[in-house]
Amino acid sequence: MIEVPNGDLRASRVVADAATPLADALDRQLTGYVVLRPAEPIATDDGAGVVTMEDGVPVVAYHDGTDRGGPAALGPLAGPGPYRAELYATDAAALEPLHRAEELRVDPGAPAEQVADAPELAARARERAPADRDAPETDPVEAFLDDEERVEAIKERARAEAERRASEWGFDEVVE
Amino acid sequence: MVEAFAVASGKGGTGKTTSTLALGMALAEEHDVTVVDADTGMANLLFHTGLSDAEPTLHDVLVDGGATVEEATYERFGMRVVPCGTSLAAFEAADPERLTDAVAELAADTDVLLLDSPATLGSKAAVLPVVLADRAVVVLQPTVPALSDGLKVQEYALSYGTGVAGVLFNKVRDGAGVAEQAERYFEGPTLAEVPDSEVARAARSAGEPLLAHAPDSAAATAFREAADKIDVQAGDGAAVADRFRSAVVPDPP
Repeated sequence: MIEVPNGDLRASRVVADAATPLADALDRQLTGYVVLRPAEPIATDDGAGVVTMEDGVPVVAYHDGTDRGGPAALGPLAGPGPYRAELYATDAAALEPLHRAEELRVDPGAPAEQVADAPELAARARERAPADRDAPETDPVEAFLDDEERVEAIKERARAEAERRASEWGFDEVVE
Repeated sequence: MVEAFAVASGKGGTGKTTSTLALGMALAEEHDVTVVDADTGMANLLFHTGLSDAEPTLHDVLVDGGATVEEATYERFGMRVVPCGTSLAAFEAADPERLTDAVAELAADTDVLLLDSPATLGSKAAVLPVVLADRAVVVLQPTVPALSDGLKVQEYALSYGTGVAGVLFNKVRDGAGVAEQAERYFEGPTLAEVPDSEVARAARSAGEPLLAHAPDSAAATAFREAADKIDVQAGDGAAVADRFRSAVVPDPP
């Protein structure tokens, strides 16, 4: 588990997709963090994700439900929405200890791309990122596909959902 | 003799319609192909085939006393194309019960039936094409949301007795090798890794399928390779038509 500093709550709402709070943070040039809690997490990844921001640009990511950090924290946050999203402002200094943890770092555009599926927002975040920002070595897609347990959990959950809905929808006859 | 394929992705923006038409055109070199816009709530096949002003469309077939399927079928690019309109009022007036009949009628007279399926698993009507098809072609792009939704579509298909014809990776950048990594989680073979390119967007703007607009592009070549890997197993047309007719009736939208 990581320690997230206390911040001042700047916004808290339910949003249809994750792009809204990420764009909000970028527009406000938020230094602090965004907490994202998917209403319908994929697989069994209950919990919330924290994406820290420097001037609105994502720096590190962590997911408390799976205790994963960096690119691997983003997969559990991807889902159809809605999300409960909170934006907190902190001093840049308060985030420093977190930001020193290389293993938690994400590419500045990765949250928008991998969680919100918003490539234009990702491009804006990358443009805004300082030139010396280190990109992490692990690609979120690679991290996702390396995690066999999680992928199998997604498949199992989808199958259970399909079978449950088959009875609801009267597809019973076609289900093998 | 017909095999029905649902071209499905679980989420929007993966290039499903581009893929449906590209596979359709490639398969049409050897088979009689009919392409249906089964995404009646968010139709866009008409824009890709220069049929934006076509009247009647599938929506008109799905209303009481409306057009016949034949009237809403257009010969385009070597295929039979059944576009759907985009009017919300028409969508609301449409009776989904009639979709199964319309598709059954088309199935009786073609080799390959491609159903461009809704980009969601959110409702009974949206899942119906996947239930009805013999096999699904899962269209993915190399992002975490698209992959997880593609996995969901696959599991829905398998749960409902629909096979997986293969997985098509679309909008792939720098030959990322994602397909190789993802393959073990999918039932069907990787059909192709289609490079991300401007030609797909240009084709859409021109109102033409990619294979007609840029037949020599790398993307078109990849789609043709994908079609080659689909071994069409045409079943008994009458049996398929019966299956569609007896299929469960979706809820009204």
